[in-house]
Amino acid sequence: MDSELLSVGIDVGTSTTSVIFSSLLVRNTASGFTVPALSIIDKKIVYRGGIHVTPLLDESHIDAGRVREIVAGEYAKAGITPAEVSTGAVIITGESARKENAAALAASLGEFCGDFVVATAGPDLESIIAAKGAGAQQLSQQRGCTAVNLDVGGGTSNLAAFCCGELCAKGCYDVGGRLVRTDEAGAITYVSERLRPLLEELGFSLPLGAPAGEEGLRALTDRMASLLGEALGLLPVTDRLPPLQTAGSSAFSLKQKIDALSFSGGVADYIYHPAKDWRRYGDIGLLLADSIRQSGWFRCCNVVPPLETIRATVVGAGSYTTTLSGSTIFYSGEGLFPLKNVPVLALDPGTERSCLAGECGALREQACWFLQQSDADNLFFCLRQTQNPSYREVGALAGALAGAAEELPPGQPLLVLTRYDFSKSLGLALWRLLKGQRPVVSIDSVQAGEGDYLDIGKPLMDGMAVPVVCKTLIYG
Amino acid sequence: MEDILEMITRAVMKELENLPPSDAAQVSASPAKGPSQAAPPAQEALRDLSGGALVDLTSDAMVDLTSAAMVDLTSAAHKAVPTLQNPQNPEALAGMKRRTPARIGVGKAGPRLRTDTMLTLRADHAVARDAVFRDVDPALLGELGLFSVQTLCQDRNEHLTRPDLGRRFSPETTNELKAKCRQAPQVQIYLSDGLSSQAVDANARDILPSLLDALRDYGITAGTPFFVRFGRVPAMDAVSEALGAEVTCVLIGERPGLATADSMSAYIAYKATVGMPEARRTVVSNIHKGGIPAVEAGAHIAGLIKTMLERKKSGVELQL
Repeated sequence: MDSELLSVGIDVGTSTTSVIFSSLLVRNTASGFTVPALSIIDKKIVYRGGIHVTPLLDESHIDAGRVREIVAGEYAKAGITPAEVSTGAVIITGESARKENAAALAASLGEFCGDFVVATAGPDLESIIAAKGAGAQQLSQQRGCTAVNLDVGGGTSNLAAFCCGELCAKGCYDVGGRLVRTDEAGAITYVSERLRPLLEELGFSLPLGAPAGEEGLRALTDRMASLLGEALGLLPVTDRLPPLQTAGSSAFSLKQKIDALSFSGGVADYIYHPAKDWRRYGDIGLLLADSIRQSGWFRCCNVVPPLETIRATVVGAGSYTTTLSGSTIFYSGEGLFPLKNVPVLALDPGTERSCLAGECGALREQACWFLQQSDADNLFFCLRQTQNPSYREVGALAGALAGAAEELPPGQPLLVLTRYDFSKSLGLALWRLLKGQRPVVSIDSVQAGEGDYLDIGKPLMDGMAVPVVCKTLIYG
Repeated sequence: MEDILEMITRAVMKELENLPPSDAAQVSASPAKGPSQAAPPAQEALRDLSGGALVDLTSDAMVDLTSAAMVDLTSAAHKAVPTLQNPQNPEALAGMKRRTPARIGVGKAGPRLRTDTMLTLRADHAVARDAVFRDVDPALLGELGLFSVQTLCQDRNEHLTRPDLGRRFSPETTNELKAKCRQAPQVQIYLSDGLSSQAVDANARDILPSLLDALRDYGITAGTPFFVRFGRVPAMDAVSEALGAEVTCVLIGERPGLATADSMSAYIAYKATVGMPEARRTVVSNIHKGGIPAVEAGAHIAGLIKTMLERKKSGVELQL
């Protein structure tokens, strides 16, 4: 009775690009005496691709054609056709996400890779995905502790903390191994603008073309490492930290004591296994690894090995981005799926209360405004407060939502997501009210909020549940 | 080296800040004693009763204790507080408690349950007994427009002691059913008290209209709903035979446990007959606020009945 979902993960990072395929096993975990409860019970990586250098046309453009070739090559090597892939995520991470053509690349890769493969980005989401790929969530759940993962890549360091399996803090800072690059002769070829305040503080500069002196670079990476300590809350925060917070990310703020700290990302391998020749990759990644390993805060922490280092993000993208909806849901036709990039309109508590009373005025106004603002032709009405509604309240909610749906362009389906379990009942009530005027999709048990986008895949196992990917999209 | 020292200082300062004032005072006065050892036994017992707040017996605040202690022991809020003292990992314990209504994290007093746990257990047991011995609210039946019939049981005691009588009707009752109900419907839905009248009170208002509306949406005709007092599950077989329904579904109160007395089950069978094997019944259990909400259960059961009518099977024969 199990069902398998083949999932792809593609990570186009600041320095490297990689692809993995994993198999997600879906099973009805409920006993025969209750309502079904589908869940993903196992995730297995079935193919690990190589680590490729991310091809760039210039500093502000990714070479989309060559990225596509790399991905196509990995599909061929794995012996998998895009048609076989039913879910997954393309994630464009770190500095790459700020390249001018990142959005277009994500869209074109998504189309090439399979019917329901989503393009996703945003530094916070990246932190969470990397931490899950590195196994921090699992560890915190198994041991009932607070586990933090620090994914140190080429352009950014992504932090995420889990407490007893629940996400409790996330953040991203522009600290990475390729913010300074050198050529084969050891001359400096690139220094990220983001490092300027640090260099000023340290009192030296790194002119392009000049030979890279180890002493100066070590001073720089030592300071970068101490900034990571500040970000983790292990050192007092200095003025230098806030400006380095990646655009569009949260400030990492953790109240709990860190019980376990893991490192992932390209730099992580060299934190755990010191390298001799720091010039090997023509950047400061290995020096940064040394600085982190030798810093005081590092030695005070319980550092644990991650499940994945350089592939943490891609494994996270392939294995941890897809969730399942609740198993009692409603949709008026299978042809509606997949739904892609639908923005979420999260109802505020006040509006939700007025909807429960059957009033649709406030919601209608918000829907109208939201559609104009987001320039989208549909949205997901997301109800997060209502739990255990009475049947009368379900009817009132349906009335309010059907009223607000008049703001949607003709023919667009009415899409509703509830946090708690009552979407089948609500969906049926909506379908009854709309009398076939427009299709209806009503799903539950997925957490989403303002600013999120949802992708919904084709129904699984006799239509009991649908795969859902919740993401934030921030490019450039 | 410097940042290590700084870190240690910060950690110590933070810990001191986190201690409640009284504990901090005790620590500074007699560092060897832990806060719990410092409390005299009488105060310990009170801490048990009031769910963690330490009360000074000698102070005037004692007067307030009676009102402060009037908490609903069976409430979710009361049970959410772990009474285990000094857990090694309070967050992990809180996380586990959120996942189960079971009595975990309660600690013990020597080999026995602590007072608070014991009282809560007895309060929960009282709720369960009430749920069994009570009758369904007649106003509710009126509101839902349900008429009532009774099995062969004459009173609650007989209902509990004679399950065989709780599954049969007198010839007069059978005739009444035939007279008042639509004959040979596609599906016959009815409610029954079973072993928890409270479950009917808690869920009927939401599950019945949700189920009937959903059946209508699927184009399925339902018979006339009614209520059976002193009913056991197999009474549905007698109902099925009396009315000639293709599918029969009873919404019945489950035997209450110590976690909830509100739980309802739906037993559903295709062409049920008296004496058929139990394996022919399909069941959806755990219908209550903490399980599947009543409105959602109604919608789900409608879908199940639709499948049953299509495949002309129920119970273990119906592979979903």
